[in-house]
Amino acid sequence: MYILINAMKNLLRNKGRNILIATVTLAIIISTVVTLTIGNASSKIIEDTRLRIGSKVNIAIDLQEHGRSGKMEMPEVGIDDFFSYAQSDYLSKSILSAQLYLYSATTFAVDDDSKAQGIWESNDGTGEARKAGTMILIGNSDPDTLTDFSVDGGRKILPGGRMYSGLDECIISSDLAELNGISVGDTISARSVFEPVKNFDLVVVGIYSDETAAYPGPAYEEAKFFVFNRHNEVITSFETVMSKGFETDEGIQINAEYYLKNPDDISKFEAEVRAKGLPDDYSVSINQKELDGITGPLKSMAGITSTFMAVILILGAIVLVLLAFIAVRERQYEVGVLRAMGMEKAKIAVGILSEAVIISLMCLIIGLGIGSVASQPIADSILSSQVEVAAEKTKANSENLQFLVMSGKTELVNGLNGYTPVSEIQVALDAHTVIQITLIALALAGLSGVIGIAVITRYEPLKILRERN
Amino acid sequence: MSTLTLQNVSYKYEGSERLVIRDVSLSFEPGNVYTIIGKSGAGKSTLLNLLAGLDVATTGHIVYDGVSLAEINRNHYRARKAGIIFQGFNLLTNATALDNILLSMHISGVKGINKKTRALELLEKVGISPEKANRKILKLSGGEQQRIGMARALAHNPELIVADEPTGNLDEDTANRVLEVFASLAHEEGKCVIIVTHSKEVIAIADEIWSVDEGVFRPVPVNEG
Repeated sequence: MYILINAMKNLLRNKGRNILIATVTLAIIISTVVTLTIGNASSKIIEDTRLRIGSKVNIAIDLQEHGRSGKMEMPEVGIDDFFSYAQSDYLSKSILSAQLYLYSATTFAVDDDSKAQGIWESNDGTGEARKAGTMILIGNSDPDTLTDFSVDGGRKILPGGRMYSGLDECIISSDLAELNGISVGDTISARSVFEPVKNFDLVVVGIYSDETAAYPGPAYEEAKFFVFNRHNEVITSFETVMSKGFETDEGIQINAEYYLKNPDDISKFEAEVRAKGLPDDYSVSINQKELDGITGPLKSMAGITSTFMAVILILGAIVLVLLAFIAVRERQYEVGVLRAMGMEKAKIAVGILSEAVIISLMCLIIGLGIGSVASQPIADSILSSQVEVAAEKTKANSENLQFLVMSGKTELVNGLNGYTPVSEIQVALDAHTVIQITLIALALAGLSGVIGIAVITRYEPLKILRERN
Repeated sequence: MSTLTLQNVSYKYEGSERLVIRDVSLSFEPGNVYTIIGKSGAGKSTLLNLLAGLDVATTGHIVYDGVSLAEINRNHYRARKAGIIFQGFNLLTNATALDNILLSMHISGVKGINKKTRALELLEKVGISPEKANRKILKLSGGEQQRIGMARALAHNPELIVADEPTGNLDEDTANRVLEVFASLAHEEGKCVIIVTHSKEVIAIADEIWSVDEGVFRPVPVNEG
């Protein structure tokens, strides 16, 4: 205990030297608090984004690879294959959806003024006339992933109805329901355009209002290509669609979205699906471009802060080492006296180290306060400049930009393609950062203390005192 | 039983062939004041450093309590058994007089007493007032520093006191006061006091006088000192 008390008294006895050391240490700690706080906040957002966006696997035709193969036909991936891929242990979830065209003798499509139930007919070999599609049947394995139902200005199930859940249940738009006088509990009977033998009798369990654009573009709307009218969609479960026993060449389009538990497992997942028969014409990838687009400025900012921190730590450490060497001569006499009084080397070392630790801890407390206040404006300033740089780069590359602002929530601002970088960041000291900074402060204390100890305790007390006297 | 015994002790500095102490055999008994006299460079202070456990004999043994100093923890010896008064004071100059004494007590592991009270008593004993006790060493005169060094040496109540020119910076009155303390320590408290000196006043209180020349120690009759 007396060692600690003496260490504290020593701090006051040698004010000049200690104020100099404390100033350098404080500067290092404030810089470290700012850079680590920003760096850690950036890393967390980058990692969260990587897990959120980087976990989605794209399996798509690779046209370049397909061209190199010299094959004329596009290779197909069977429905069973999609199911098989979904069984992978590397996946956290899979979203399967199916889409096919329907026609119905009893239900008219929105904007189908002819009420013709199909524009053309042909003999498809079944003895029945084949009709053009009037509606689109969409089967989705997970209603929660129907994004239009989770955003303002999208779709909303009206009171009295609910989302589909069981087999042969569906939901339809209010426009389609009003046109055909359909209420919740009614049944829609329809057939697949390409496989007329596959009949659907779907119970309407929900009717939704739809504020989304009905057509993909003005040309479609003007021509009233009602088969493209989104208000003619009949939405049901993936199981309902697949219960009819479709094959991929039977006018059904299967879409599969796979989400990895860990984006780093993309290579392992690709190896697994290749082993299960995925043709080389298909590429398996995560959306690196989107990931880079969103996190680019953050990565740049993290790089800047890391470099700055490294420079500060190296320069600061050098200054502290120099100060420690300067202090050695003065302390050498003090150590000689203490040794002559019979104090053990180890206790002297603990005393010197205690002084350095006390200085560092005091600087740590002050540095955490100042650094945490300064972090946010500095982060805003750096990120803002990095976003501008990223925007200029993107502008140069593309006319159409999609801006996505992230600050805990996601919203569409503008644009058609591309990705909006993170432009806001909330930086705050967390326990992890405090621990890191504390360790750095203790390392600085150790650095300045250990050098003095190493030099001073090498000598015998008589030698030190003899030199002094 | 002797407090300290020198058995054929010789000493030469590292890198030197010249013996500064030559084959000395002496015994220092409790309750006596010993003075060592001689010319500068004769080997007085070197012997004192050996007795204080600050250095180790090149050959021979210095035995304390039956054990050679070369074989024991000399930090412990200096902290608890020997009280050393340096010619150059060797005080912590940025600390107060009181802190110097208290720190010595802490290092020595003094327990069971009020350290501050004891420190102030010791300082008073050598003529340092409580007001001066709280001054930094640098703000005190050489004579005051000398006495603080003495108080520090007595702080842990050692059995052996070794002093190098302890009155060299003191005026006559203060020197006499200090010498009374040394005499009292030896004759009343049974301590073994060994003093290196040129001072006739110091020699006057000695029970035994040794003269050193070229590293060779010879006894000097007390009345001749």
